[in-house]
Amino acid sequence: MTATSATAESSVPPEVVSSVFYGAAVSDTLVFLVAELVGGTPRIAWGNEGATRLLGYGLADLRALPVSALVPTLRGGEVRLLLRRERTAWMTLPVRTASGALVEVRVTCTPSPGGRTWTLRLVPVDHDSERALRATADAHEQRFTTLTERSPVPTLLSEQGMRLAHVNDAFCTLVGLPAEQLLGTGWMASVHPEDLDGVIEQVVAVLGGGDGETTARLVRTDGTERTTVIRFAHLVTPGVGAGFVGTIEDVTERLAFEARLAHQASHDPLTGLPNRTLLAGHVAQRFRPGTGGLAVLFLDLDDFKVVNDSLGHAAGDELLVEVATRLRATVRPGDLVARFGGDEFVVVCEGVDQPEAVALAERISAALARPVPLGGVDVRPHASVGVTVQTAEHGDAEELIRDCDIAMYQAKAGGKGQITVLDQRARDRARDELRLVAELREAIERREITLLYQPILRADDRTPVAVESLARWHHPERGPVSPGVFVALAEQSGLIGALGLLVLDLTCRQLAEWDRLLGAAAPQRASVNVSALQLDGRLHGAVVTALERHGLAPTRLSIEITESALARDPASARAVLTQLRDLGVSLSIDDFGTGYSSLAHLRRLPVDCLKVDRSFVAELADGHAEIATAVIALARSLDLTTVAEGVETEEQATRLAELGVGHLQGFDLARPMTGAATAAWYAARAR
Amino acid sequence: MPATLAAAPSFDLDRVLASIDTMAAQAPVAAQLVSIADAEDTDARTLARVLASDVALAGRVMKLANSAYFGMRGRVTSLQFAVTVVGFTTVRTMATVALTGLDDESRLPEGFWSMSTCVALGSAALAPRFGERPQDALCLGLLAPLGAALLFHDDEDGYGELCAAEPTAAGRRVAEVRRYGVHALRLTAVALEQWGFPPSMLLPLTAVDDPASEDGALLRAALEVAARLTVEDHVPVPVEELTCGRLGEDAVPPVLERVRTEAEELRLAMLG
Repeated sequence: MTATSATAESSVPPEVVSSVFYGAAVSDTLVFLVAELVGGTPRIAWGNEGATRLLGYGLADLRALPVSALVPTLRGGEVRLLLRRERTAWMTLPVRTASGALVEVRVTCTPSPGGRTWTLRLVPVDHDSERALRATADAHEQRFTTLTERSPVPTLLSEQGMRLAHVNDAFCTLVGLPAEQLLGTGWMASVHPEDLDGVIEQVVAVLGGGDGETTARLVRTDGTERTTVIRFAHLVTPGVGAGFVGTIEDVTERLAFEARLAHQASHDPLTGLPNRTLLAGHVAQRFRPGTGGLAVLFLDLDDFKVVNDSLGHAAGDELLVEVATRLRATVRPGDLVARFGGDEFVVVCEGVDQPEAVALAERISAALARPVPLGGVDVRPHASVGVTVQTAEHGDAEELIRDCDIAMYQAKAGGKGQITVLDQRARDRARDELRLVAELREAIERREITLLYQPILRADDRTPVAVESLARWHHPERGPVSPGVFVALAEQSGLIGALGLLVLDLTCRQLAEWDRLLGAAAPQRASVNVSALQLDGRLHGAVVTALERHGLAPTRLSIEITESALARDPASARAVLTQLRDLGVSLSIDDFGTGYSSLAHLRRLPVDCLKVDRSFVAELADGHAEIATAVIALARSLDLTTVAEGVETEEQATRLAELGVGHLQGFDLARPMTGAATAAWYAARAR
Repeated sequence: MPATLAAAPSFDLDRVLASIDTMAAQAPVAAQLVSIADAEDTDARTLARVLASDVALAGRVMKLANSAYFGMRGRVTSLQFAVTVVGFTTVRTMATVALTGLDDESRLPEGFWSMSTCVALGSAALAPRFGERPQDALCLGLLAPLGAALLFHDDEDGYGELCAAEPTAAGRRVAEVRRYGVHALRLTAVALEQWGFPPSMLLPLTAVDDPASEDGALLRAALEVAARLTVEDHVPVPVEELTCGRLGEDAVPPVLERVRTEAEELRLAMLG
């Protein structure tokens, strides 16, 4: 007996020992057996109530039962694994009951001193609850497996680290490999080598907890690539560690679609060239203020409209495509060719100086000039090319493109097929013009344009019958700006409509003012000059509005239109003029004889008066009265009145009267005056 | 039957079994890892903290995590992450290897680790075909020959002769039962049960000898894979016979190839 058991014996009273033993003997919940070695064979020597109940043997049958018969799975000498001599052993194994059935139990076997007797405690494994738990777990597993295997979403499952325990059919189909080759770390071979680090980085993060997402290319067995978004979710398996679930979205088609959309947004659909938006971005990206080497070539096809008008728009498109092809083939690799719009193209080059840029422009011109067969004819496209190379003066990319645009217009103005480099003087002039346009816009908005009025007198008795409104612009810094300059500027920059409306309104207001001041002595009519660009459907409404605003009768107004304006679109001009004439406004043709108007048209135009141009009046002094005579005679034969402009001398006035002119207008007769001065002039004449 | 294969008078199974109990006291950190790795409430941080107390073992876990088998070559730099990558069962297995002295090749039968790693990798590679988790299969494969090591420790000469006389795994098991009353895999099962490994890992060890048992099919197939790779003049047994028809012979060649490639690296990782 060991010291320990001696101590235990001494500390536990005999009645307690017998009490515990008795409890164990009669317990039907505790299962105890005692085995002993009999003739070298371990046999059951005793069992308690619980043992006879569990195993179904009577106590007498239980005794002498070999232990090996009780534990049939321990074959041969394996009973020794349970019946140890010096240590407790435990095993979970089935025991055979009297009926032959097997009951799963956990056996704890404790040897007695001496090594010939053992106490076996049997605890039945709770089959029902364990089976239920396992069944639940199996059902979960089954659901998950079914869900993932049948899911069309490619799915990866790792219960541990990077190694896959499961892939579904959708993933196998995506990469074109069987599951066997993907499990473990085989799936990583399907990730594009350049994207593998990103995938691993995400997996590392996800194994540490949380979720992650990355974009990666998967390489299929046929070598094609699919771009995917892989979403990882953290997964923990008790006793195993951290893993992940990865779901894969194949975004290849979506990205391709987005790329197509992006391409369409930044490229011209006809030629496939970058469009204006991409061009702006391209130049802005490369523009470094204060440096050079960035060149922009602006091309405008000459006579493109002729191709469109004569051969049709399909031929025009064909020509544009051919031009685009030639441009692409002619520029250097890396140069950008863009379609700016219509028949305008832009080439952007880096690292070139001016001579090189001009050389490129010449090369382009030569390439374009080769004949293009279109609609049965050979067309030789020519382009006006503006060349600008970035200088220190260029503040931003837009300025560079704008300068190039100016250069192109200069090339255009210089004749067809020209190449023009924008020099400093031209640039300054263009910029000055831009500044002046801005200032003119402001002047119109602030109504800083003023009017002078020049009287028109009857030729026979010099009675004033009307005035002509003459617009004047006094620039605060530049002083007076010639009408020839600012009216032309207004026409070029789209300000002519606003300027015309202002002049119309100021004139009507002045007429109303004179009426108030002078009564019947006030000028009865005022002429207002209208630009060809104003000659559209809106003019009638503008005239009506101005007259109504100031309470004037339409007869108080005369509209003067140049002969050349009428020649632009005679049919449309006639329609507008007819409207005005029907309103009661009288109409004059200004500068008659200087343009190319058709006399046949003239007969059909609803005009009242021809103004004989000052150049013909001036010729009178040299004894040349032929044209003035002809104009006056023509007007008379068409039953139109006439006004001779620019009458500088009394001799001219007399001569014109002799020729039969109706009215006179000139510096010598009456200068252009302010509204107030005109009022005074009229008042004096009335007395 | 050679006389030397009769039950060795000096062999004492009780002593061998007792040694299983005393091993824990000799390698306390490994024993603690074996104990806690299976606990529900153990996390990677806790496991890494305990593992850090055994520098040699921690180094092996790091090496294994960075091996080709786990696909993370050179990317695992922290012990906690290494534990996450290889999994708790693998840490527990490595701790068991350390606990039982299997990392000392000089005290093991010849070719022990070549066979162990081949069984382990073969088992892991084939596991999905049997609905098993590869990592559990790997661990079982690594630990399965533990019983053989224990027998060799106790009866070096006798066991050496036994192995030489019986090159096939099945034949060897018969000889082991004859000589020791129990075969090595059964001994492994007892040891693993003693250390609290789950019944799912024990079942294949006890069922391996029953050709009709599906529970032992994977292990039988893995032993066959290992034999084909490591035993000279091995006469292949059709895997269909070994696996109750669950595996065809065509599944074997790619597994052989993979095992051949990875076995040495796994061996080095396991042995430090």
